[in-house]
Amino acid sequence: MRSLILQVAAVTLINIKSIPQRLWLSLSTVVAVGLVVMVLLAFLAMANGFERTLADTGSDDVAVILRGGSESEINSTVSRDQVRLLEDSPGIAHDAAGKPLVSAELYLTIDGLKRTTHTRANLPLRGIGPTGAAIRKDIHIAQGRMFNPGANEIVVGKGILGEFEGFELGSTVASGTTRWSVVGVFEAGGSVFESEIWADLPVVQSLFNRHNYFQTVRARLVNPGALAVLATAVDNDPRLKLDVRSETAYFAGQARRTSDLILKLGWPLAIAMAIGALAGALNTMYSSVASRAAEIATLRAIGFGGFPAFVGTMVESLILAACGGAIGAVATFLLFDGLTTSTLGASFTQVVFSFKLSPALVGQGVGLALIVGVIGGLFPAVRAGRSPIVAALQE
Amino acid sequence: MNDLLLVRKNLFRKKLRAGLMIASILIAFAIFGVLASFERAFNAGEDVAAVDRLVVVNKINFTQPLPIAYFNRARGIAGVRQLTHLSWFGGYFQDPKNFLLVFAVEPETYTELYSDDFDFPADVRKAFIGERTAALVGEALAAKWGWKVGDHVPISSNIFSQKNGSRTWDFTIAGIFKSRSAQANTNFMVFQYEYFNETRSFLKDMIGWMALQTTSPLVNEQVAKAIDQMFANSSAETSTDTEKAFNKAFAAQLGNIALIVLLVVGAAFVTILMIVGNTMVMAVRERTREIAVLKTLGFTGARVLGLVLGESVLLALLGGVPGLAVAILVTVLVRDQLANFVPGIAVTVPIALLGLGLMLGLGLATGLVPALNAFRLKIAVALGRG
Repeated sequence: MRSLILQVAAVTLINIKSIPQRLWLSLSTVVAVGLVVMVLLAFLAMANGFERTLADTGSDDVAVILRGGSESEINSTVSRDQVRLLEDSPGIAHDAAGKPLVSAELYLTIDGLKRTTHTRANLPLRGIGPTGAAIRKDIHIAQGRMFNPGANEIVVGKGILGEFEGFELGSTVASGTTRWSVVGVFEAGGSVFESEIWADLPVVQSLFNRHNYFQTVRARLVNPGALAVLATAVDNDPRLKLDVRSETAYFAGQARRTSDLILKLGWPLAIAMAIGALAGALNTMYSSVASRAAEIATLRAIGFGGFPAFVGTMVESLILAACGGAIGAVATFLLFDGLTTSTLGASFTQVVFSFKLSPALVGQGVGLALIVGVIGGLFPAVRAGRSPIVAALQE
Repeated sequence: MNDLLLVRKNLFRKKLRAGLMIASILIAFAIFGVLASFERAFNAGEDVAAVDRLVVVNKINFTQPLPIAYFNRARGIAGVRQLTHLSWFGGYFQDPKNFLLVFAVEPETYTELYSDDFDFPADVRKAFIGERTAALVGEALAAKWGWKVGDHVPISSNIFSQKNGSRTWDFTIAGIFKSRSAQANTNFMVFQYEYFNETRSFLKDMIGWMALQTTSPLVNEQVAKAIDQMFANSSAETSTDTEKAFNKAFAAQLGNIALIVLLVVGAAFVTILMIVGNTMVMAVRERTREIAVLKTLGFTGARVLGLVLGESVLLALLGGVPGLAVAILVTVLVRDQLANFVPGIAVTVPIALLGLGLMLGLGLATGLVPALNAFRLKIAVALGRG
């Protein structure tokens, strides 16, 4: 047993030391695997970043109430009467003064100019009342102040400021004939609210001619379990043809379509590229075995077994693949992690998000690299282990 | 023995190696073919846009409505040949997940304005204009749900409600229309604006946007300016742009798809360039003595150069052509699934030609170094090496 281990160690070392002899071919395998891992991880980090942004937005003890079948805030309409009924519904928390923590809001789209492409893109303008900011977690004004009630003033999310032109503090934003002053920039813990523009609800209602209705209602629940109580009460009232969801569930649903799409593009592409890289890896390892055929046969002739030759080749292949995987992961981290971009979300408005790599994702990338290494090494290693001594020495 | 035979024999001397090279090239070109088709289909809005068509939207954002009165006012502007208006319905069939593209339109002008893109036979037009609840359904959409002319279909809206509280409108299919070009997709339906406007509970007398045809592309800019000036300083200012610019900006909202495609295809090509390039260098180095023998037999340097380049180009073609065939197969298979998102995905002739160009480029690039090595090879040195 000890001698087998020594044999394996010796042959493996020879294998590794011989890599520089096939430097360019080995390097091309490393780079090929690295590029595969990079493409995969870039897509995974994109989907993950998008999902995280929406996941961080949701709160379990906030209910989002929309018109039945509307699916997203932009489509929904809720009447003033319905809001009043909701305020008296069970399960909803009240503030110190005894007022229900219910926020009826408008959610409209206005144009913004994307910095990267200089094209117009849909930005969400949310009209909120005094309870609007209070009902959400982690909202704070980073620059300037909150808008004043009744004024043509807006506060913009940090994401808007970064990705779109002309929303700097103090600037004037023209939307149709309306002029808005940017009086504040807010942060919302990296959530999707940072991709929004907020203004006073009555001002938005009057400027957009939506006097008697709202689009979406948010309610703070006494506890997450109260969602079912509220939902049952709404279902039982024929005047309320509304869908009640937790904010977490609402944003998870919004995230799914886009991140699924990114993953459905990323994985097949990465797998196809991995097969291409596999052809390269097999080629490299077959060359490695071929170039050392005489050497392997000599070892066999002096008493080494076939197994060490097999292991040596496998290890060489795995090392090349692991190097590729590591390079791919590091390159993705340096080039893509934290890269901020925006896309059209399920609400038909731009969602600003950052690519986010995670250890689990790196694991998937390196895993794919090692699969290439295992398959790429296996067949050549079997050949190395089985090569007939005499034939190899004659060559 | 002609040179082609020599090239072929050389290439397949090590069958496994040649097979692996061909496999990796095949995959790179399959990726190229699929992604290029995807990108082209994604930005197809830009290509199908008629040069003389303009889109008039609310200046605040294209989802904000315009008053119906604008329709009659804008019609009179000099340079406008035909004008119609459309409204987004937010349609779905039975379940909100079964999302449908449905527009409420002015039937007469709509069918006239889009007659170059879609085939509206005279009798179908007449049936559509004559019946208040009539709808025209695109061929692809009708096929998806198995709808036929004369069917009554209940379509719900995720935005609007009828005055009676119902979210569902009943339509009678007056006709199923075909596309007149490969890019114009028929995965949508239209119905009468009048019916919509009278029955819905809010946004009365508002329309989504207007589309118009100018008398000539030359007056596009002038017409756009005239329209925007006409409605300047009103409660709903307009923004008029060519259909092409509008479609392009809309596609850009999703992200820079072209850049993503370029990066992925670039990564795939760098990979094969390295793998195939290095393998070719190695393969030719193994044949050093043979090349010296060929030269001794009177093969000129140029001819040897041609032999090696021919080999690498043949390799690229053997991998690339089937790769494009795989791409065609994939695009045919996913076409229906992606109909809502990127309609009309297909490997077009320009994509195939670009692919062939890339194959030649790849072949020459990977063969260049070993070919030059073979070209420069000194017989005495080479034979002396062994």
